[in-house]
Amino acid sequence: MMSNTSNTINTILKNPHNGNSFELKSPLLCASGTFGYADEYEGLVDFNELGAIVTKGITLEKRPGNAGERIFECDFGLINRIGLENIGINDFINEKLPILKQKNINFILNIAGSTLEDYEKLSYIANENDIKALEVNVSCPNVKHGCLEFGLKPDLLFELVKKIRANYKGFLIVKLSPNTTDIKPLAQSAQSAGADCISAINTIRALGVKVNFENNKFNKKFVQGGLSGACIKPISLYMISQIKQVVVIPVIALGGIYNLNDLFEYISVGADAFQVGTANFLYPSIASDLAKALKDFMMKNGFSCFEELKKEILNG
Amino acid sequence: MKDYKGQINSIENIAKDVVKITILSALNDCCPGQFISILCPNKIIRRPFSIADFNEKEKTITIFVKYKGEGTKYLQNLNVGDYINFIAPLGHGFKIENKKSLLIGAGIGIAPLLFLKKELDKNNIKNYLISGFKANDEVIKGSDETKIGGSVLDDIEKIIEDKKIELIYSCGPNTVLEKLSKIAKKNNIKTQVALEKVMACSMGVCKGCAIRLFRNNEIINKTVCHDGPVFDACEVMW
Ligand SMILES: Cc1cc2nc3c(=O)[nH]c(=O)nc-3n(C[C@H](O)[C@H](O)[C@H](O)COP(=O)(O)OP(=O)(O)OC[C@H]3O[C@@H](n4cnc5c(N)ncnc54)[C@H](O)[C@@H]3O)c2cc1C
Ligand SMILES: Cc1cc2nc3c(=O)[nH]c(=O)nc-3n(C[C@H](O)[C@H](O)[C@H](O)COP(=O)(O)O)c2cc1C
Repeated sequence: MMSNTSNTINTILKNPHNGNSFELKSPLLCASGTFGYADEYEGLVDFNELGAIVTKGITLEKRPGNAGERIFECDFGLINRIGLENIGINDFINEKLPILKQKNINFILNIAGSTLEDYEKLSYIANENDIKALEVNVSCPNVKHGCLEFGLKPDLLFELVKKIRANYKGFLIVKLSPNTTDIKPLAQSAQSAGADCISAINTIRALGVKVNFENNKFNKKFVQGGLSGACIKPISLYMISQIKQVVVIPVIALGGIYNLNDLFEYISVGADAFQVGTANFLYPSIASDLAKALKDFMMKNGFSCFEELKKEILNG
Repeated sequence: MKDYKGQINSIENIAKDVVKITILSALNDCCPGQFISILCPNKIIRRPFSIADFNEKEKTITIFVKYKGEGTKYLQNLNVGDYINFIAPLGHGFKIENKKSLLIGAGIGIAPLLFLKKELDKNNIKNYLISGFKANDEVIKGSDETKIGGSVLDDIEKIIEDKKIELIYSCGPNTVLEKLSKIAKKNNIKTQVALEKVMACSMGVCKGCAIRLFRNNEIINKTVCHDGPVFDACEVMW
């Protein structure tokens, strides 16, 4: 270990196959769907400390999302069934992109679609607009058509990523779903089709149930959606450890990240960067706070760079 | 909108299961209908509460907390001097107009209306606050008229007529507000309602508290936390 006051948490995600890379000034990112399009969080978070923010999932057309209750809180997690309500790619390009550019916020565009053609068009538009990084959501459990369908079948995923790769030259991240018996073939498909990076995991299918006994009768409430938060961390740790057995491209971890120890645990199974999701709802500044805490830890313990810390955790 | 650390200035029981909490903080601007969202230990999402009063000079805000579950229990058990963390001011409040106004509060829904009444009075806008509670011990004081048992909407049309009401503001359970929206439509009277819906981020990003409005022959999505919580009752698709 080397003691150095100019310690840095800069990190470069790099695909060893083709040299494609994405530079982050910090390995802490904000997860899709939990941070809007970033401008909403102005004044609450220190953007200088963030590696990037991942936009809310964008579809070709604007979507209204699901009707009814969309949020269900459980003991250690959150179930959501937003259903990809979003402004659509055109409004994103016209309204949000200029703000992100003007404020110089590093971002990753998260896209989702119902059909192969949706993803093809979205990746083409992203390329045309010089968007530096794309996260392909093939893992949303809350929409009727598409999306997760592509994320559960290795051959379908291969075809999808191949098509996107052909259109899109920037840094290509594929976001995998835990709603599968074996995540390894999916990770392999993504890599061999040309993905530069994998992010995992998206939410886990779950059912929130509330039963109350009131006025002599039982009232029941059911909310079916995707589970996130602290309770999914062990599942994500497992998934990432599996993914790392079969790919060489970098992996971004997400699932229940709340503190520095969570980061260390994810590093120990091979994560290269992190996305903070549900925790943003409680602590809007958590991602930038964690970046600062990570720097402090490294400073105190004599790590000069994030790479060195990673190596120490993995080999130590 | 900012993340604040607030100190409990006073806390008192004002009705069955309801405490009034005054919080000292650096918050220096807010308006009736806006709310704060409080960090409660061991909860995955924050808990929203309407601002029931704001004292600019003393730098305090007041909230009324009705016991529901763990979050409200934590708040009710706080002591003077304790600190809490909250984000504020959130949402878009009531749009005050210089019109003879009727304020209708159902239960704990009276909270934002007391703040509104103060503002209307300050601006010399004629107003009448009527509130309804299920039982005697649940009454929260401060209204011009208090109804106990029954529905706060009983005789409301007569009051609208007698008092020549031009604008209604209301807050309470969605079932009451929905009923009110029908009365508003029938009597063609502008009505602003403050809605409740479970919210996760409380600042418009997660779309967890989306509702649908029917405006200009179009169905549009709005978030209760950011676009609301106050909406035109006649536009809300209940
Ligand atoms: C804009 C707004 C203003 C409000 N103002 C007041 C007020 O002035 N005084 C008051 O006593 N209550 C108010 N409420 C309701 C209050 O937020 C809930 O009673 C409280 O969150 C319950 O938390 P709990 O942990 O005690 O109960 P739980 O047992 O966790 O929840 C009980 C019920 O409270 C509601 N609730 C829980 N979490 C949330 C959440 N994150 N967002 C919205 N609703 C939730 C749900 O309907 C739930 O079924 C307001 C709600 C909203 C949306
Ligand atoms: C309210 C909500 C909305 C989400 N929307 C999206 C989305 O649009 N696209 C996506 O890829 N993931 C979405 N996610 C999943 C998160 O990005 C993340 O994968 C998941 O929540 C796990 O991380 P966490 O435990 O830190 O929240 C959403 C999650 C939540 C809670």
